[in-house]
Amino acid sequence: MENDISAETPARVNFRNPTLLGLAASALLTVLVIVGSRNLENFDSALFGYTIASIVAFGAIVFRYAVWLQRPATRTYFKRGLQLFFQKRKFARNAAQAAKTLATNLVEQRFIFKRSKTRWLMHGLIMWGCILAALITFPLVFGWVHFKLEGDMGYRPYLFGFPAGPALEGRNITAWLMFHGLDISAVLVIAGCAIAIHRRLKDRGAIAQQQFLLDFVPHMLLLAISVSGLMLTASSLWFDGYMYAFISLSHQALVIMTLFFLPFGKLFHIVQRPASVGVELYQKHSQEMSQAVCPRCHSVFAGQMWIDDLKKVVNKLGYDYRMENGQTLQDYCPRCKRIMRGLAYAAIADRSDKVFAGTRGNIE
Amino acid sequence: MRQETMFVDPQRCIGCRACGAACRECSTHKGYSMIFVDYIDRSETTATMPTICMHCNEPTCAQVCPADAIKQDENGVVMTALKPRCLDCRNCVNACPFGVPKYNSAMHLQMKCDMCYDRTAEGLKPMCASVCPTGALTFGKYEDVVPLRRTKPVNIHVFGNQRVETKVYLMLPTDAESVEVNSRDSGIDPAIHESWIDTQVEDADKSNEF
Repeated sequence: MENDISAETPARVNFRNPTLLGLAASALLTVLVIVGSRNLENFDSALFGYTIASIVAFGAIVFRYAVWLQRPATRTYFKRGLQLFFQKRKFARNAAQAAKTLATNLVEQRFIFKRSKTRWLMHGLIMWGCILAALITFPLVFGWVHFKLEGDMGYRPYLFGFPAGPALEGRNITAWLMFHGLDISAVLVIAGCAIAIHRRLKDRGAIAQQQFLLDFVPHMLLLAISVSGLMLTASSLWFDGYMYAFISLSHQALVIMTLFFLPFGKLFHIVQRPASVGVELYQKHSQEMSQAVCPRCHSVFAGQMWIDDLKKVVNKLGYDYRMENGQTLQDYCPRCKRIMRGLAYAAIADRSDKVFAGTRGNIE
Repeated sequence: MRQETMFVDPQRCIGCRACGAACRECSTHKGYSMIFVDYIDRSETTATMPTICMHCNEPTCAQVCPADAIKQDENGVVMTALKPRCLDCRNCVNACPFGVPKYNSAMHLQMKCDMCYDRTAEGLKPMCASVCPTGALTFGKYEDVVPLRRTKPVNIHVFGNQRVETKVYLMLPTDAESVEVNSRDSGIDPAIHESWIDTQVEDADKSNEF
């Protein structure tokens, strides 16, 4: 790790590679759909709209992710995270640590619990509802899973065209739960969105900062999807399919809008958040390596590797915080930066000025 | 007509820390103060330096954020990190030239002064400015503040080779054009050690953890 931070040209966003990556991702998913559904033999043509939308959205997400990785800071964390993860002798330990971070951050979401318990409940309901729904719908939409009727009431699931497990009895509680999986997920999401919207209407801090497109639209889309989904069940169960085609079309339109909204705004955190596993790995490693010592107060305040990487990023962004004494401003701890500014401020006043004389007479 | 902004006058600061207590009341970071009041050289003087976010025109914190979580609003207020995005990487904490952003690892969250967005949006003064007894922290329009003071509002800092322009003003003697954190006479010679008493501050003030 060299400390050289000689001036480089600030990074420019390049759209060519992300576009190619996005197209490649869409093409790959198309191939997987064709192969996984056995040349579309098991493909449900009623879900064609969803399939196309998923393929396009997947490409768009990959494009957005690739553009995001061009941010100098993101790039540094990404590269360094991979480099640290694949260190030869530490691989097993890193994998165990990453698994643990994954469990506490992404499954248990302890950090959200620390932010607020209601927020944790809200987020848990929406997240698990969406994950449940995604696990059910995407394999069906891609034709990877289908069911065949066996005997009077048995359903046998097929995965990629291969029989997966025994035929399921169609009239017991397990089957009922399975067939109503999407209704259950809808109830979870509606409850979560209700908590979120309640908070956004009541909390002063939230009211001041929220934006309609960023903070309300995602909840409204999720609510609309859930409600229209439940209406489909209601229509077929209790109203003899009344308005089924219309509700089905509306549901599809809403889902497609949400899929296309994924790369933008709030929902992008779904694909972005897992990066926190890499960041935590980076921080842990950086704590175990040599530490940066503030040149002024001599306190240890961060990992040296991190500060060196940060200085390179800052430099790449076009800032130059190098000082006359050979240090860079980022070498100092946050508190010393504040005090140095205070001292610099205090040094400005001309001490021979009359104002300093006060009532004791002149200062010579 | 210029927008309302903060005017910081450290020579008026008496170190009462009322600003910090008031800051904890802000709805966007309930219970945590985002203001620092540091002794600059306690063995020599009781002078304190109040530090709030200066709201840079080109914020380094936002640029070094890998998650693009720190946004600037249309009036130039640099907002606290977006909660769904912040990854607790603390790049902003160490990149900020003013030493302003705070973090909390358990919450995976950075927070900073956002000029009391919840209050200013409703035409109220930020918490700190509404309680500061000496006007060291003042909120108002440039043209309203200037006639009231013998000092001059300046929004230019020079850190080493880097010129930083901010939305918040610092009150300086009328012949000064900027604050320069660079040369030896501004007291940042690495050979100068802190006095013992200066090191006896709370850990939170040292690490910026809230």
